[in-house]
Amino acid sequence: MIDNTKDSRFSVKQLIVIYTIISLMSLLAVWELVARFTKASMFLPPASQVLVAFCRSFVEPIGKRTMLAHIGVSLYRVGVAFFFATIAGIALGVGMGYSRLAEAILKPIFEFIRPIPPLAWIPLSILWFGLGDTGKFFIIFLGCFCFITVNTYDGAKNVDPELIGAARMLGANERQVFFEIVLPSSVPYIFAGLQIAVTAGWSAVVGAEMIQSNEGVGWMIVRGMNTGNTVQIMVGIVAIGIVGFILANLTSALERRLCAWNEQKGM
Amino acid sequence: MEEKKMPKVQVRGLTKRFGDLLVLNNISFDVEAGEFLCIVGPTGCGKTTFLNSLTKLYKPTEGEILLDGEPVDLKKHNIAYIFQEYSTMPWLTVEENVGFGLDIKGVEKGKAKALVDEYLEIVGLAKYRKYYPNQLSASMLQRVVIARAFATQPDLLLMDEPYGQLDIQLRYHLEDELISLWQRTGTTVLFITHNIEEAVYMGQRILVLTNKPTSIKQTIDNNLPRPRDIASPDFVKLRNEVTDLIKWW
Amino acid sequence: MERAEGNVGSPAAVLECRNVGRSFDSYDGGGKNEVLRGMDFEVHENEFLVLFGAGQCGKTTLLNILAGLDMPTEGQVLTRGKKVTGPAPERGMVYQKTSLFPWMTVEDNVGFGPKVQHMPENERQARIKKYLELVGLTGFEKNYPSQLSGGMRQRVGIARAYANQPDIMLMDEPFGHLDAQTRYMMEEELQRIWQKEKRTVIFVTNNIEEALFLADRIILLTNCPTHIKEEYIINMPHPRDYVDPEFLRLRQLITDNMDLTL
Repeated sequence: MIDNTKDSRFSVKQLIVIYTIISLMSLLAVWELVARFTKASMFLPPASQVLVAFCRSFVEPIGKRTMLAHIGVSLYRVGVAFFFATIAGIALGVGMGYSRLAEAILKPIFEFIRPIPPLAWIPLSILWFGLGDTGKFFIIFLGCFCFITVNTYDGAKNVDPELIGAARMLGANERQVFFEIVLPSSVPYIFAGLQIAVTAGWSAVVGAEMIQSNEGVGWMIVRGMNTGNTVQIMVGIVAIGIVGFILANLTSALERRLCAWNEQKGM
Repeated sequence: MEEKKMPKVQVRGLTKRFGDLLVLNNISFDVEAGEFLCIVGPTGCGKTTFLNSLTKLYKPTEGEILLDGEPVDLKKHNIAYIFQEYSTMPWLTVEENVGFGLDIKGVEKGKAKALVDEYLEIVGLAKYRKYYPNQLSASMLQRVVIARAFATQPDLLLMDEPYGQLDIQLRYHLEDELISLWQRTGTTVLFITHNIEEAVYMGQRILVLTNKPTSIKQTIDNNLPRPRDIASPDFVKLRNEVTDLIKWW
Repeated sequence: MERAEGNVGSPAAVLECRNVGRSFDSYDGGGKNEVLRGMDFEVHENEFLVLFGAGQCGKTTLLNILAGLDMPTEGQVLTRGKKVTGPAPERGMVYQKTSLFPWMTVEDNVGFGPKVQHMPENERQARIKKYLELVGLTGFEKNYPSQLSGGMRQRVGIARAYANQPDIMLMDEPFGHLDAQTRYMMEEELQRIWQKEKRTVIFVTNNIEEALFLADRIILLTNCPTHIKEEYIINMPHPRDYVDPEFLRLRQLITDNMDLTL
């Protein structure tokens, strides 16, 4: 039924929240039961224990730092890399989408690099950039960059030619067409790319922090693995999940604000 | 033959609210079996809500719709729709498209094939049975849609501005074709449009709707002889009458 | 029609379309797909010329050529005696799909032409105000196109074209997507706007009522390749009545002269 005016105590929005909560609670319950009452308990600490450790990590340091500081370090790494990836990705994407020449020159190179997973670059990045933050930026950058480029490229390719024609008829020159028409009409695509990229970058942080490091949520997991501390691994995983979730929602909130014109479609 | 004929469709006190917003206000009317009824209303009247209530996509807040005296049940009753967009399936050939409705209704294969053949013949598409929709012109597509609707031998055929965007001559042509198909099959047709001239040209009766909240403003019998002439004084008179009831612009 | 030799345009005509033809390479690469043939006509100062014809093929291509967005494979287009070589703000265009810039508000859309031509801001604001008023959209300056009804969007499109104060307006089935009643309203509105601020207009439509309601002159086109079949001078006084006997007579006359393509 499309009809949502049926007599019901809850609105559709409320129902979605309710179901989300139920789903999360059941996940935790199943986890707890499996960890407590099956053989998996050897490798899987119960949810309650992980949650307690997670909360404690905000006050008691893991390694040298507390949870917030670890998250902060990782966010800083993702932030820097993401910033450069956004600039490079949008520039390359719009360039390839708008100019046939740029497309012909750059697209084959890009298509060659695109399928290589960021982690494959770790050995080279150590050789090139050493063990410091630069190498980590590089890995995360590669994790974000392609998504932004591909989406921006799609956006710039899909500009309605009639809009470009309309702008030219109104007297716009090439540069104005580019900045006034091609770029803004790619914005929804760019945001779709940013949203995937921010999540991808956040995932890549774990790989990046496997390179010599003594802080960050990725380090927390690697460290937990090396010391056989499953609780610490799970705490790191939970932290990554939560922060990733928040980042994805922040980007879509930003998109809704910036692309208000695109929202009310279908009226 | 029964002594007293029961109306094919009975709409009784149809009312629809979205929250506090009243969209349909106590609409009641009958459609006789085999009747061609046109419904016309001002732009922005609750046309879509009205249609969706008839097709049971929306549950009415109050009132009911009876088909052959029973509440409309899409599982039991056979209602066909023709909308403005050519809703042919691009991956099916012409004959598969025409047979689509029969397939869904579970009509037995041999019988379905006979019906498909019959209606392809009637709309003049027998030669094109193996073609795909993207190989056909607009008018042929429209005919595929019409053949598909008629082939299911519907209890009721609902049409929502099927010819809104067509060129005028093509529209005239398809309108005439529809009329002759209707006369031939005796199908009950409910034809909704914004185009007053079209309503006067097609219908045996015209139901004029008001603006939101939608109710019935007037019902006009249309006994003009067919084929109708849009330039004849009687036609113009009736057209003006309907226009005066609706005009907002 | 008799015509001066060569490329010399007649001074009275605002726009001349001289023997314009357009072919595209067909998909299989071998042949040519001809969509326009021997289009030869002109439009005069403040004339409302309607190009009327059925079918999809050719009409939009023709308008694109008149606009300078596409080049003919044969013949040429002259505006005030000068050959058209590309798009220019002297020719305003109104589209069926409106082609408003969805990320701009109504006022930014209307002010786009003046802006890209670097008109001083106060002058630009005055333009926006004037033409929004002309099309009856004062109060909707800050709305986005997606918040407007179809008829209102088309008004913005008309205001946007007017804001450049073009020498000639090209209208490509601007009301084609509207329902029959909104269409009547917009036809009356366009007539009112045009009476108030006259322009030379070339208006393309497949709707005969619309053509007869608006036109000073109708050119009947036939299909594939599109070429001129007949020309009608329409002398009925404005405002016209859709059910006036003379209106209906002309309507019959012209539709009977169309080719029915099924």
